[in-house]
Amino acid sequence: MMSIRGVSVSFVILAMVCIAFADIEVIAADPWSEFGRIGLGFITPSFFSWSELLTSLANTIAFALVGVAVAAGLGLLLAPFFHWRVVRLFCSFIRSVHELFWALLFLQVFGLHTVTGLLAIIIPFTGIFTKVYAEILEEVDQRPLNALPIKALNTGSAYIYARLAVAWPQLVIYTRYRLECGIRSSSVLGFVGLPTLGFHLETYFKQGDYSQAAGVLYLFFLIIASLRLWTHRRGLLILLLASLIWLPFELSTNPEIILRFLTHDILPQPMRDAASLLDVSVWADMFNWCVKLVQTQVGIGVWNTLLLTMISLVGSGIVTLLLYPLVSPLFFRKRWRLPGHLFLVVLRSIPELMLAFVVVVMVGPSMLPAIIALSLHNGAIIAHLIGHSTITLKLPLGAARGLNRYAYEVTPRIYRPFLAFLFYRWEVILRESAILGILGIHTLGFYVDSAFEELRFDRALFLILITALLNILVDIVSRRIRKQLRLTALPEIR
Amino acid sequence: MKLSRLIIAATMLVAATLANAKDFTFTAIPDQDSSQLQLRFGKVAKYLETQLGVKVNYVPVKSYAAAVTAFRNDEVQLAWFGGLSGVQARLLVPGSEAIAQGYEDQFFKTYFIAHTSAGVKPGESFPEGIEGLTLTFGSKGSTSGRLMPEFYIREHFKRAPEEVFSRVGFSTDHSRTIALVNTGAYQIGVVNYKVWETELAEGKVDPEKVQVIWETPVYPDYQWSIRGDVDGNWGAGFSAKVKAALLGMNDPDLLASFPRQSFVEAKNSDYQPILDTAKSIGLID
Amino acid sequence: MQPPVLFQLDRQTIGWHGGTVLDDLSLSIRRGEKVAIVGKSGSGKTTLLRALYRQSPQSIAFCEQAPGLVPTLSAFHNIYMGQLDQHPVAYNLLNLFYPLKKEIAKVAPLASVLGLSDKLSTAAERLSGGQQQRVALGRTIFQNKSVFIGDEPVSAVDEVQAEDLLAYVVNTHETVVLALHHIEQALKYCHRIIGIKDGKVALDAATEGLTPDTLRQLYEGESQPSQLKDNYVTNAGFKALC
Repeated sequence: MMSIRGVSVSFVILAMVCIAFADIEVIAADPWSEFGRIGLGFITPSFFSWSELLTSLANTIAFALVGVAVAAGLGLLLAPFFHWRVVRLFCSFIRSVHELFWALLFLQVFGLHTVTGLLAIIIPFTGIFTKVYAEILEEVDQRPLNALPIKALNTGSAYIYARLAVAWPQLVIYTRYRLECGIRSSSVLGFVGLPTLGFHLETYFKQGDYSQAAGVLYLFFLIIASLRLWTHRRGLLILLLASLIWLPFELSTNPEIILRFLTHDILPQPMRDAASLLDVSVWADMFNWCVKLVQTQVGIGVWNTLLLTMISLVGSGIVTLLLYPLVSPLFFRKRWRLPGHLFLVVLRSIPELMLAFVVVVMVGPSMLPAIIALSLHNGAIIAHLIGHSTITLKLPLGAARGLNRYAYEVTPRIYRPFLAFLFYRWEVILRESAILGILGIHTLGFYVDSAFEELRFDRALFLILITALLNILVDIVSRRIRKQLRLTALPEIR
Repeated sequence: MKLSRLIIAATMLVAATLANAKDFTFTAIPDQDSSQLQLRFGKVAKYLETQLGVKVNYVPVKSYAAAVTAFRNDEVQLAWFGGLSGVQARLLVPGSEAIAQGYEDQFFKTYFIAHTSAGVKPGESFPEGIEGLTLTFGSKGSTSGRLMPEFYIREHFKRAPEEVFSRVGFSTDHSRTIALVNTGAYQIGVVNYKVWETELAEGKVDPEKVQVIWETPVYPDYQWSIRGDVDGNWGAGFSAKVKAALLGMNDPDLLASFPRQSFVEAKNSDYQPILDTAKSIGLID
Repeated sequence: MQPPVLFQLDRQTIGWHGGTVLDDLSLSIRRGEKVAIVGKSGSGKTTLLRALYRQSPQSIAFCEQAPGLVPTLSAFHNIYMGQLDQHPVAYNLLNLFYPLKKEIAKVAPLASVLGLSDKLSTAAERLSGGQQQRVALGRTIFQNKSVFIGDEPVSAVDEVQAEDLLAYVVNTHETVVLALHHIEQALKYCHRIIGIKDGKVALDAATEGLTPDTLRQLYEGESQPSQLKDNYVTNAGFKALC
């Protein structure tokens, strides 16, 4: 039988064991000059060209809005069928592949086109929406449904009136939270070439033009921090409409390219040139091809991905517990929470890749930058949500203050939702840790990136499928733990 | 009314930044100083436009592979490739031709650079004592930042770089390689010699901290490649016209954006050594 | 000739959640009867009503003790839900976004009986506890079934109005079975009283001749009929997060 304490302690021990195996060497030869330039850049932000900046800002928001809207619609349609195993597996699969990988795949077919960006958001988000919507609808108050005339019970009308309508406020809260994630994802798509904010951010960062990079980042912070102000119903509708007009849609894709991609590029190399698939030697070659990939890339990739994920999961938990009081009304007055809010906005808005870039400069190229970046980023997200949720806690009159309040009154009360949030976030951390391989840590993402660079899409797809499998596995374990510990989270985090 | 006009104008702007199938379009691998790419190649696009008499667009891409894919999918018809990316692209697009290379690209070379704290002495032959240090390549698909240095490392040690060095990274571009060695994050870097010299001249490198420890033998590198079907789409002789325009480019300002002193003729067979090397280290099947 | 038997329990033993149990219970209810079930809380009234409901759910309108409304929907929509099975999905969907005049007209007379005429467009979550219970009652009545089973359907409604509503329910349904904790109401509106005690039928008699005092014996060991706590729709915890 699992206990909250037992699970927490085991995960911390597991993370410590992982650290022992991980490469976390600090190689800080001379970080100060570069660090000084980064600092200077952030004090002296520069906005390189307003027209370009605003265009990419509009693209970022447009991709996010349209992508999230379509995905939410599809999620709503699929959610009632989530109890079908095939739907569940399908959703599990599509959300287990990171947006950037989807984008890299669609780039091969559609090029740098609106469709590439939209699909890269729509596909994984549909998987996430379907799952979370289904869970919310499942946990909805059953009484209105039971009060219906019995003949109406299993009809679409009952579904709409007695489930959707009941769950609506939670669905809206969750969808709005996802919009923030959508904007983050959309801007990150710029890293592979789509014309969003990330495009410039990556360029300037890589180039060491920290003033310009800071300009882009500040603009991005502003969007995330002001999200609540313009995401009311009417504002969203107008923006969504404007986005549809804004994004160029005329598609000039050649069906031959799609066909070639599906029937040639992603086929494992031994199968491509084979005269007949009935030939035994083709399958022998296939076997060797797989074995070689597993030996040289998959094994190391999975190992490093898991190490990074486990350490960062516990790291995120620690960061959360340290930071959540910053935005909790139980610890700080409104005035003092503002800096905390801004701090968390900054931490959760900077894409992990950027954060890791900065840390690489500080501590050198080991797994450490990725661990720090993932822990800070995810910790800040959960701290934001946990901190807010403490509003609902009612402390007894005369409750202890300060550190005593933190340790005795609040942390024990939020510990269950905290764990639930963290375990929900597990699969996200895994997806992101795969992506951080692009930095040079040999996670699965490193080999996926290499395969794309070497134009070996067959390998890329094979490795992506392995990544997806790993993700599904973690999802299952996480669900089992949550079920065993009876952890349910508030709707925002899943 | 004003708003709608603004939206239309903006839409056209975005449409222009994305690939437009009707115009003659080219790209370039983002090998260095990518923030200036638009500026540098925007001028080249204008020059080509006046020379060719058709609308010419430049599309920026984020990676070497993206440049190759755009070329393969006919999103761009002309590209400024590195040696390796050019070979990859022309293998994927039958009929495509290398038409021009920089004068310097006939005898290009890679610099091995080292942070002074690594204590590696500069020399004429492959540097001794780099085994066990940390090394960063440039992009995974780079000729001067990956292919050729990896070839010489394998030749010298008879082992893969991962087994020779304690840590191997990919900085993604040459400027970044220099910056990473400059900060000491990596002890050794391999870099396109042109980029090194440019950044040295601009004062972006601290000679007290980073120095060149070895230069590789020469090899052919960057080149302009064009798809074979352009004559069909833009009229007979179009490819030759593009070639003439490139070879005739003599405005120092334009040439400085590559940076090359001039462009000379090139042909596919010039790059056979690159293809052989890529095959020998397993980058091309 | 007597009217046909609608409900028949024959030596039934029912338990749920390991809690209240009906033990070896037999009774029958005929069409046209107006029956009150009385007994102290926890005696098994709700279990009995559910057992009856299960016998022919198609023809019964069942009003549960807790209102169980959809918090975000208006009172009109919640009442309308009683007839969801009468229309195709598209019609219901349309009515959800644009409340149709025709349907409002159908609900209006009932709303006026319920004293909700001015609250029809108010979201259920903004109604008081008594109002919510009236909406739930309206939703049940709107089903237009011949049999009404109600589990304390007016417990949170003030006494005068409660009597009007009980009278309305009794007049508009052929057969009525009500669990009531208010003994005087039971005697006034029903023709037959079934008293439950410890999962058994302790009393089953026509109303005539019964006095409140006789019934109070069923509540032995409890100083007075218990006040039932309803779970009203609240959204407070949630709102705080918005």
